[in-house]
Amino acid sequence: MASRSSGEGNTAAAVLQRLCCKITGLSDDAVVPHYQFALRILGSNVPSVQGTGDEFQVVEKIKRHLVRRGRENDAATFAELHRKLNSQGILKNTCAILHLLLSLIGTGQTTPRAVTGTSLFGRGLSTFATSTPYPPQPASARSDQSEVVHPSRAASDTVLGATGGAHGTLSSLSHHSQHTTASSGFSSIRGEGLSDGPTPVPHTLVGPGTPFTAWREERGGRVGDSRLSSTSRSENALVPRSSRAVSHLHAGVVATTGDNTSAEIPELDLVKDVVYAFQGIEGKWIKFDSGRDGYRIDPQAGIPKAMRHVISKLAECGWLYNKIRTYVESRSTDKAFGLVGQSFCAALHEELTEYYRLIAVLEAQLHQEQDQGISDGDGLTLRRLVVWTFDPLVRLKTLAALVDVCKGKKGGALASCIFSYMQHGDPYIKSLIKHTLTLVSQPVYVTLMRWIYDGELEDTYHEFFVASDPTVKNDRLWHDKYSLRKSMIPSFLSTDQARRILLTGKSINFLRQVCQDRTPIRGRDAAMAVDIKQAQSMFVQDEESSFQKMIDGVYTDTSLHLLDILHSKYKFMDHLKAMRRYLLLGQGDFIRHLMDLLEEDLAKPAGNLYLHNLNGILETAIRATNAQYDAADILKRLDVRLLEVSPGDTGWDVFSLDYHVDGPIRTVFTPECMIMYLRVFNFLWRAKRMEYILALIWKNQMSNARCTKPIPELASILHQCQVLGCEMEHFIQQVQYYINFEVLECSWDELLHKVQEAGDLDHIIAAHQVFLDTILCRCLLDEKSRDILTQLRTIFDLIIQFETAQDNFYQAVNEELDVRQHFEQTRQKRTDQGEWAVTEAEEQEERERRTAFLRNIIPSTRAQMTDMVQRFLVMVTCHQDVSLRFLSFRLDFNQHYKVKEPNSRSPLAMQRQRSRPV
Amino acid sequence: MAEGGGKPKLSTARETLDTLMEMSKLLNTGLDSDTLALCVRLCENGVNPEALALVIQELRRESAAVKESDASGSS
Repeated sequence: MASRSSGEGNTAAAVLQRLCCKITGLSDDAVVPHYQFALRILGSNVPSVQGTGDEFQVVEKIKRHLVRRGRENDAATFAELHRKLNSQGILKNTCAILHLLLSLIGTGQTTPRAVTGTSLFGRGLSTFATSTPYPPQPASARSDQSEVVHPSRAASDTVLGATGGAHGTLSSLSHHSQHTTASSGFSSIRGEGLSDGPTPVPHTLVGPGTPFTAWREERGGRVGDSRLSSTSRSENALVPRSSRAVSHLHAGVVATTGDNTSAEIPELDLVKDVVYAFQGIEGKWIKFDSGRDGYRIDPQAGIPKAMRHVISKLAECGWLYNKIRTYVESRSTDKAFGLVGQSFCAALHEELTEYYRLIAVLEAQLHQEQDQGISDGDGLTLRRLVVWTFDPLVRLKTLAALVDVCKGKKGGALASCIFSYMQHGDPYIKSLIKHTLTLVSQPVYVTLMRWIYDGELEDTYHEFFVASDPTVKNDRLWHDKYSLRKSMIPSFLSTDQARRILLTGKSINFLRQVCQDRTPIRGRDAAMAVDIKQAQSMFVQDEESSFQKMIDGVYTDTSLHLLDILHSKYKFMDHLKAMRRYLLLGQGDFIRHLMDLLEEDLAKPAGNLYLHNLNGILETAIRATNAQYDAADILKRLDVRLLEVSPGDTGWDVFSLDYHVDGPIRTVFTPECMIMYLRVFNFLWRAKRMEYILALIWKNQMSNARCTKPIPELASILHQCQVLGCEMEHFIQQVQYYINFEVLECSWDELLHKVQEAGDLDHIIAAHQVFLDTILCRCLLDEKSRDILTQLRTIFDLIIQFETAQDNFYQAVNEELDVRQHFEQTRQKRTDQGEWAVTEAEEQEERERRTAFLRNIIPSTRAQMTDMVQRFLVMVTCHQDVSLRFLSFRLDFNQHYKVKEPNSRSPLAMQRQRSRPV
Repeated sequence: MAEGGGKPKLSTARETLDTLMEMSKLLNTGLDSDTLALCVRLCENGVNPEALALVIQELRRESAAVKESDASGSS
């Protein structure tokens, strides 16, 4: 450097000499020692900065200097000027000039105070004989001056910026006057400098035009303070940054409040650390504290508080990243986690890849900066990082929240969890969630599509909300094989939709496996091609209804197809009608004929019945009646069945008709249903039999009417029998009417209606079930009506007893008739023979016999009947079913029973009846 | 030399100097335009700016000391 300047010859030297003259104000001759010394300095002692510093750095330093003193406006102006300078492009060594300016900052009009500089100069001068003695005291005082004012510099700077150099004189004058009043200016200057109008402007800051004398006079009053901080003359711009900071540390108070740049770690290094932390790697100063589960900045490191704050905020990214990555890693290897879980991991991974990209960009920039040094204004700073990581941070936060909430969940439940975040108000987060959910629900959607179009369930991990039980056989396929997994129904699907989806797939499986129908679903291929990508449609249903439409369409198509097959191919309606005709005694002529034929056999004890005999009779009955016109398929299914025999049962108790069902219709007519049918049949059969018996009773009465005439004493008895018979007939007729019209026909009509309206097989099954339940209930076969049923059975038994009794009666009457005939004949013979018709003893004997006969034969049945019917009425009245109550009115239409026991049907009596423990 | 570019460059050179002068004022370096021009020349010649700054400050202090002693001597 020295060789260069000297090598360039006189020009530089001449310029330097002129400079010396200019500054010192001495003549050319007088300035020689100064000039010589200046040459010496330039030549040797200060290390060159040209290599280390570059223009940008210098400009930044200057700007920072200005900003630190609150002169942001000036900083901007300076930047503007610098730009201008560059555009003019004349200077070859702008950097050097700027460096010079930087070094001279704040030295205007004040004497430089650098200790290093002073001693250096002094030392230098002492080697020259012509040197001026250096007075150290004033110099230290002057430097002290600026140091003391330092804290209030920001305020005074602004004033200066506003007033400008023109006010220099004024301000220094006011400064002066102030110091004449202030005794020892340290505290007073600081306080008043901040509060009072004319700020005590330090001379370092006063513009170039300030009279020199002003501060010199003032300095006189402040000599006492000068020693306070004579060591900390740090404002000299020539002192390197680090040494300046050290001197601050010595200064104590100032050091702690100011920026402790001494141990300050370069921002670039911090940025590097933060970028490490972003990746979940520990940096030099940012360590992961597993105890507190968070990143911790090394408390020893010299990082300003504000920066620590910023770094902690930035480290959040790393923490969130770690969390998500851990989740993804732990789950990716988990085979049982399922497709939904895997796609969730994939979605997370995708987001992380975006995040990696950001980190890669950051790192690249970091490297670039390290390689080239700071070249332009785009350098990485912590602030920049905060801005750049703002969006990624929000994303990571959301994802971490998802990870938290999805822990331990899988399949549909996981999708539900994510969906619950869909209502987020922030559209940015909402779209992120939506995207994630689209990915996550993709497997669900694909499974769903396969299910509703193909009936195939590919759900290895039990994630889908339709569950299949492989152990269930075909005959229970509809009822038991498939079920909904409640926990796995994604919350964006309604229960109704889930049900429809289940039904659709089930219908397809039913068609395929039970009905052997392989017709493909209409539009399946097109739908699969189009729909397979539209998982999103599932959870934006409140915006568009395409999903609902699709589900509905497929559901309707499939269900209708299934019903069509059931009706056409499997003749469901025919079977249903056959049930009604045979098991529910709809076919009157057939039943009557069957009963006629069976009467004899059924009267036998149950043990003596043989199925093949009964089957033969059934055949005969079918062939003899209109039943023969039914389809052969239906008649073939009709069969006789004997219920379980218990001791003492007659054939009537165990006989039952049966109807064989198989194939698809078995889904509707399940074994349970068939048992219900059999129970109803049994009941109806009994009622029918009562009707039959009463007819017999009447027939007996009619046929025996003439032959009983010879015994006039029987008239009243016969009358009673007839009355009783009528009463029973009335009762049974009403019961039959009730059963046939109010129970069977009404329910049947309802069932037919529902079956025609039915949209899917489930509707039919439900309607059928309702039908059976209603019949069972109204026929008093359910649990609640057990008492009434028992009562009814007792009445039935009574009728049977009555029949027997009447039979016996007629038998007795016939015997009596025979005896009397015989008696008459004997008497006639004797009369013919001319004897006494009857002897005294014979007559006596005959009279006794007749009295005994009359006494014995008086039937006690009647009283029982009345009593029982009354009780039955009370029970029926209490029954919940309205139609049964109607029955009671009909039975007692003329209040015949009420007259006999007036209270029996009043509400009070009902209550009594109820409350009374039975 | 910055000014040595001939006539058309003269105005630009002045402008440059003005700009620098403004900067100098902004930073309160205490240099007047002549001194600044001299410094610019020196810098353009490759003189170490830090050393130059040092020189300037020392010279200023020297002159100040001289003046002070003059003043005290006269009073």
